[in-house]
Amino acid sequence: MAIILQLLFTGLGIGAVYALVALGFVLIYRATNVVNFAQGQFAMLGGYCMVITTVDLGLPYWLGILITLVVMAGFGAIFNLGVYYPLRHRSFLPVVISTIGASILITNLVLGLYGPEPTTLPGVIDFPGVSLGAVFLDSQYLVIIAVTLILVLLQYFFFEHTLVGKKMQAVSQDKEVASLLGINVTGMIMLTFAYSAVLGGIAGVLVAPILFVSVGLGAQIALKAFAASIIGGFGDVPGAIAGGLIIGVAETLGAFYISVPYKDAFAFILLFAFLLIRPQGIFGEKVSQKA
Amino acid sequence: MKLLELSEVSAAYGAVQALRGLDLVVGEGEIVTLLGANGAGKSTTLRSISGLLTPNAGEIRFAGQVISGLHPEKVVRLGIAHVPEGRRVFPGLSVRENIMLGASNRRIARAEMARDTAEMFALFPDIARFADTLGWMLSGGQQQMVALARGLMARPRLLLLDEPSLGLAPLIVQQVFRIIARIRETGTTVLLVEQNARIALSVADRGYVLETGRLVVSGKPDALWNNEEVRAAYLGGKRLSEEQKPA
Repeated sequence: MAIILQLLFTGLGIGAVYALVALGFVLIYRATNVVNFAQGQFAMLGGYCMVITTVDLGLPYWLGILITLVVMAGFGAIFNLGVYYPLRHRSFLPVVISTIGASILITNLVLGLYGPEPTTLPGVIDFPGVSLGAVFLDSQYLVIIAVTLILVLLQYFFFEHTLVGKKMQAVSQDKEVASLLGINVTGMIMLTFAYSAVLGGIAGVLVAPILFVSVGLGAQIALKAFAASIIGGFGDVPGAIAGGLIIGVAETLGAFYISVPYKDAFAFILLFAFLLIRPQGIFGEKVSQKA
Repeated sequence: MKLLELSEVSAAYGAVQALRGLDLVVGEGEIVTLLGANGAGKSTTLRSISGLLTPNAGEIRFAGQVISGLHPEKVVRLGIAHVPEGRRVFPGLSVRENIMLGASNRRIARAEMARDTAEMFALFPDIARFADTLGWMLSGGQQQMVALARGLMARPRLLLLDEPSLGLAPLIVQQVFRIIARIRETGTTVLLVEQNARIALSVADRGYVLETGRLVVSGKPDALWNNEEVRAAYLGGKRLSEEQKPA
């Protein structure tokens, strides 16, 4: 029993990271109808930004986080201008290829600047964790779960209770009508990219102390986050969160009970199962109605 | 006084020329209707005015200012609201949110926005009880009311209405047109595109008949209605007898 609880805790922690990246996928998809294949690279950049500021430059952790958030928001805006905006009137495919190109460029820029050696980032708190009966709650996993919970609540409040949130929803539902009403469509999409980059960056900062910070970090997380958003029902916000948590728990349980070397395969086995049995995902029938 | 003036406006969708040198004038306080068959260029005219489409020739002036080529977000700030064909209510937002966002062209405080929204519910009592219902759950008539209210929230000097009767039951159409007549009483100028010529001419001061992007004839509703040729070609055939002519 204790071992299952222990695995569930770990699974939810790593699943929360997938959920954050999956949220980024979904928000950009809803705003632009395009899948951003560089979403994982946002997470990698967040991780490197923390390593550069706190390890290399020796800045305090809180300042590193602050700088990372600002850098990621700015990066999201630049990404929007360079990768999406020039192609916004084109069809789905050119934009998708553009995001794939951007992800390759980002990966290789980081590789060129920082080299292939993985580095490590310490956790936010020194303190290792607490024991709750037979279950050990690692502090970094606690931080991940808490931060994700707070972000999801903030995001819900933002989209449901602020005017800017409503305008962003309006833009994702009908850009032409939104512009007829005087809503700044370009600005709202810019904001969506900036926010999605921040979400990805935070996921990278959170997961960096658990995994190594390397150029492969982005692809590793993004593939699972992408699977998570499909399992949840592509384009659905609660679905992305549920999908992320399900994949996190499934791969942790699978690694323990079935096979450690095949840990990374469980997300995709689950994805295949969903595509065969319920291709619209858990919340699939609600797609296109509510952010 | 001329509020809106189109001179020799041409517009195209890719290689397809939809407007070919259209001249049109709408005076302050008028209801003007654009009639014609499918593909005559009626919606294209509205899309060119509101900035969804940039004309490839000619000039559009609103209150003396050239607006052709301006972005829709700028046009609506000048006081032109466009209620598009098919109503296009935001499906995932509530009725109240849909209506509130209609004021996005004005820089007003949230409290004023809420007050104006309440005013709209007074003007459209039928949708007041659906204030918290999501847009996609409404009937076509209710969606048309929401779209009209959303358009009026912009406090426009000129309201562009594209096919407000489309897909609505006859009783609902009458209700919508009573509201359009009432909108004019508040001093708002209306440019109305309609397939249903009879009901459009019943509220309009003047009408224009378009064919393949060109103006065919214009005039007072009575004159248009009594023009046999026009009736036969564009207003629904000769079968309608004299008794059915609009009031």
